[in-house]
Amino acid sequence: MAGTYSLTSAGITVVNAVVTLTFVNAPAAPNIDLCFRRFWVGQSATTPSTFNQRVQINTQVTAFPTLVSATPTKLAVADAASVITGNTTGAAGTSGINASAEGAGTKTVIWADAFNATNGWLLVLTPEEIIEQAAGASSGVGMHFPVATGASPNTLNWAFGCIWSEE
Amino acid sequence: MHDDDHLLIGRANGVTFRRENKTESYVVIPPAYIITDSDGATWTFGIEFNTHGEINVLRNDIDTGEFAQRIEYRRGVVRLYGKAGMRAFSRSRRHFI
Repeated sequence: MAGTYSLTSAGITVVNAVVTLTFVNAPAAPNIDLCFRRFWVGQSATTPSTFNQRVQINTQVTAFPTLVSATPTKLAVADAASVITGNTTGAAGTSGINASAEGAGTKTVIWADAFNATNGWLLVLTPEEIIEQAAGASSGVGMHFPVATGASPNTLNWAFGCIWSEE
Repeated sequence: MHDDDHLLIGRANGVTFRRENKTESYVVIPPAYIITDSDGATWTFGIEFNTHGEINVLRNDIDTGEFAQRIEYRRGVVRLYGKAGMRAFSRSRRHFI
């Protein structure tokens, strides 16, 4: 195993629409595979009018979302850098956050849930549930809101991320 | 929103969480991400596992030294559930009982 990596962000303002929060696309083959182990999302500052929000884990084929470039962080100092690099395109071997356009590629939902914004949402996958994305896969793995959050302040101060290991 | 609007301020995974109220009873991590107790402390899971598949418990981003499968907030008390059964965070904020 090469290491474990996190793609995380906080204080994010999302658009009041369907939006991809994180998107990671495995590198071209031959290379190591990505095994997604954890996803989370929460709102770091809330108002009294808390609300419920749907969230989905999905794969998406091209055309990919248009993202804000975000580079993975290694969880252990001794590990090598991730094979994934930050980019805005969602292309193979890249990652990004907070999409400004969802892209026309079909999303296939792997996991669908809903949560209260005050409590946030944490998904820790058991070993049998780990979402694996092989090198050379034609799709990336994303976490997105399938429905709009509603107007500000619902769009403000989101913290979210995912963790994967490269094996 | 200004900090004066919030009584309860804690941290989880490097992010400051501001809340006006403590978490309601029977909220459980997971699937919740955080619990805010009456001190304003933010509880969540870290990224370390033990051999029983339990995850380390963080309070304001500080490792409590405890591992659990679930963290529950009930009637003002944080409770950890795991292989060893249930442990509750003491009213003195010093121990798990």
